[in-house]
Amino acid sequence: MSNQKKRNFQIEAFKHRVVVDPKYADKTWKVLEHAIHEIYNHNASGLSFEELYRNAYNMVLHKFGEKLYSGLVTTMTSHLKEISKSIEAAQGGMFLEEMNRKWTDHNKALQMIRDILMYMDRTYIPSTQKTPVHELGLNLWRDNIIRSSKIQTRLLNTLLELVLRERTGEVINRGLMRNIIKMLMDLGPSVYQEDFENPFLEVSAEFYRGESQKFIECCDCGDYLKKAERRLNEELDRVTHYLDARSEAKITNVVEKEMIANHMLRLVHMDNSGLVNMLLDDKYEDLGRMYNLFRRVSNGLSTIREVMTSHLRETGKQLVTDPERLKDPVEFVQRLLDEKDKYDSIIRLSFSNDKTFLNALNSSFEFFINLNNRSPEFISLFVDDKLRKGLKGVSEEDVEIILDKVMMLFRYLQEKDVFEKYYKQHLAKRLLSGKTVSDDAERSLIVKLKTECGYQFTSKLEGMFTDMKTSQDTMQGFYASHPELGDGPTLTVQVLTTGSWPTQPSVTCNLPSEMSALCEKFRSYYLGTHTGRRLSWQTNMGTADIKASFGKGQKHELNVSTYQMCVLMLFNNAERLSYKEIEQATEIPTVDLKRCLQSMACVKGKNVLRKEPMSKDIGEDDAFFVNDKFTSKLYKVKIGTVVAQKESEPEKQETRQRVEEDRKPQIEAAIVRIMKSRRALDHNNIISEVTKQLQSRFLANPTEIKKRIESLIERDFLERDSIDRKLYRYLA
Amino acid sequence: MRKEETVKLISAEGFEFVIHKDAAMVSQTIRNMLTSPGSFAETEHGEVTFPEISTTILEKICKYFYWNLQYASGKQTEFHIEPELVLELMMAANYLHT
Repeated sequence: MSNQKKRNFQIEAFKHRVVVDPKYADKTWKVLEHAIHEIYNHNASGLSFEELYRNAYNMVLHKFGEKLYSGLVTTMTSHLKEISKSIEAAQGGMFLEEMNRKWTDHNKALQMIRDILMYMDRTYIPSTQKTPVHELGLNLWRDNIIRSSKIQTRLLNTLLELVLRERTGEVINRGLMRNIIKMLMDLGPSVYQEDFENPFLEVSAEFYRGESQKFIECCDCGDYLKKAERRLNEELDRVTHYLDARSEAKITNVVEKEMIANHMLRLVHMDNSGLVNMLLDDKYEDLGRMYNLFRRVSNGLSTIREVMTSHLRETGKQLVTDPERLKDPVEFVQRLLDEKDKYDSIIRLSFSNDKTFLNALNSSFEFFINLNNRSPEFISLFVDDKLRKGLKGVSEEDVEIILDKVMMLFRYLQEKDVFEKYYKQHLAKRLLSGKTVSDDAERSLIVKLKTECGYQFTSKLEGMFTDMKTSQDTMQGFYASHPELGDGPTLTVQVLTTGSWPTQPSVTCNLPSEMSALCEKFRSYYLGTHTGRRLSWQTNMGTADIKASFGKGQKHELNVSTYQMCVLMLFNNAERLSYKEIEQATEIPTVDLKRCLQSMACVKGKNVLRKEPMSKDIGEDDAFFVNDKFTSKLYKVKIGTVVAQKESEPEKQETRQRVEEDRKPQIEAAIVRIMKSRRALDHNNIISEVTKQLQSRFLANPTEIKKRIESLIERDFLERDSIDRKLYRYLA
Repeated sequence: MRKEETVKLISAEGFEFVIHKDAAMVSQTIRNMLTSPGSFAETEHGEVTFPEISTTILEKICKYFYWNLQYASGKQTEFHIEPELVLELMMAANYLHT
């Protein structure tokens, strides 16, 4: 049974009734052979397809398949040998033309032959595992024409020469090229590769090696890249016009390797025109070209990135450590912003917004901004400057843009808490002196800080705004309940919540009697409405408007600080006061008093006081008079104190110390939080976790963390493991 | 029926069947005859002579061509073959590659 199943059921070809004439096969073959000759000679029109087909059919049917097949091979071979001779004979440019024409003829003939011998293709060839007619025709063509000794090298050389001529700028017959290349592809991928592609790639590599050497000696980087790009495009063009699409990757690889990869470092570091110069001169186009070309080779982009990063770090470092630049914080930050803008646009325009480049840019900025530990202060000063005066006449969107940029720098800061400290101080000054330009801008910045660093970061800043608002209401209430105060001096009090505002050592001074009476009234009013509170006066932050008349009777309104007001009021009752007398009467701290006297006696145009002896600095033995000769074009004169914009060295130390103090509880809190959830953890892990937790605010110092851990151990929050001394345990 | 769209099939006895080219091309052999790039006599004159196919069989074959087109377009009916024609019909089918 199984045996029978395996056997394919087959109907044997019907035995023809015709008794086979022994000459039958030869006769039939003669007919077919003749037909093949006719086909090659373009004389097929008279032939009957049916007759030829029937003859071939009958030959196969009568077991003359072998004769038919070998006859075909011999006939076709002899024809191809003739063709080969005529191609060999073609001179110069005609060579390819002739080959192309013969190829077209052969193809057509082959198709016709295949059609009439179809029955053989169908039955005889599969059963004897011979090559089908069409493929046979191609193979014979390959062996007799393409690989004949007289043609093979000539063909290759001709093709390569044409390519070379095209590379040097001549126009060649691309159509013909395409046909010949197509012929090679039709003959099978191996023919195309062996007889054309591989030598082509070798010759190309040779060519570009030489050319790139020549270019790099005489061109600058930008020109070189332009040339490389053009060559690359030419090769791509060539591929689309007459090469196999699969050659594209190979040939571009050759160009990339020879023209870019081999010269990459030299290009990047080229004197006067390399990458650094492009960056300096904002050569977006050249940079874009470099990016696109280098992207093609491995390590290309990382090379660009490394050079850019090191250049950025270098210039950035110079920028933040150059003592000249540090004199003006506003300009310092502006320079940082400009630098950032510059590189942002380079990356956007030339490096197609590549993420890795943006990251490199960010990390470089982070690197050098934190090299200078005054960066947080300067950034805050920049904001202060912008919000005080810089934003006048600037549209809301522009304000947002500036603030966004500042936030971007802020993000780079490692010591965000230092920034917070300064920002708080500057904000307090702005709010109290009423100098802030736009409430909206202030608030929008706070919202930004909040999204960046969380509620905790800004809660105190927001408290400051609330205080300002409630103070306004309180003042309205105060004057409503004391209608008799309308005529005398006006007092505006801002009630500040301790803790929300930067703590200032509370130094009081003796206010003029008119004022202190008023202050007392306010105190009793305020404590009357809010029980259980304590008020203390922060005279060092206030301002006052006073009216003064000078020698020739001209009147001016002077805008001064509280301290200055106290000093000036003394002159209502005296002509001449010595420094000592002023100090005694007002009890203003020495530093502040000197500063305020200096601003009133030594600044040209604002010198409402006269001083003896005349000098730039205030001495302990100086005497002061009202300057009767004071004149000013303006009715309102604003006398600012000589404020150090930047913090002086001791102030800076103090702030730093305060920041360090503030960090301690934060570090401790972080340690306790971590230990509470982990129960036991070794030293290194604690350090890394704490650092991670506090990253958004500042970069915690490992030795400081260690100190905090020890302090917590002393206070029985943690203990050391009795066996592993590096392990800590949390004590509930 | 325009002339370019038809082909004339001639039997051994000289009977002529004029049918659509589409139908005739159901046979691979006839398709090759009519589409081969060289200008064979058949392509030029639009007629094919089959000296080894009798009129009866050629008629059946023509019927089959049309039946096949119908069948391919979804109308599935039976094609009836008289038993006495079977052998010759199969030979012709092999020849015509149908």
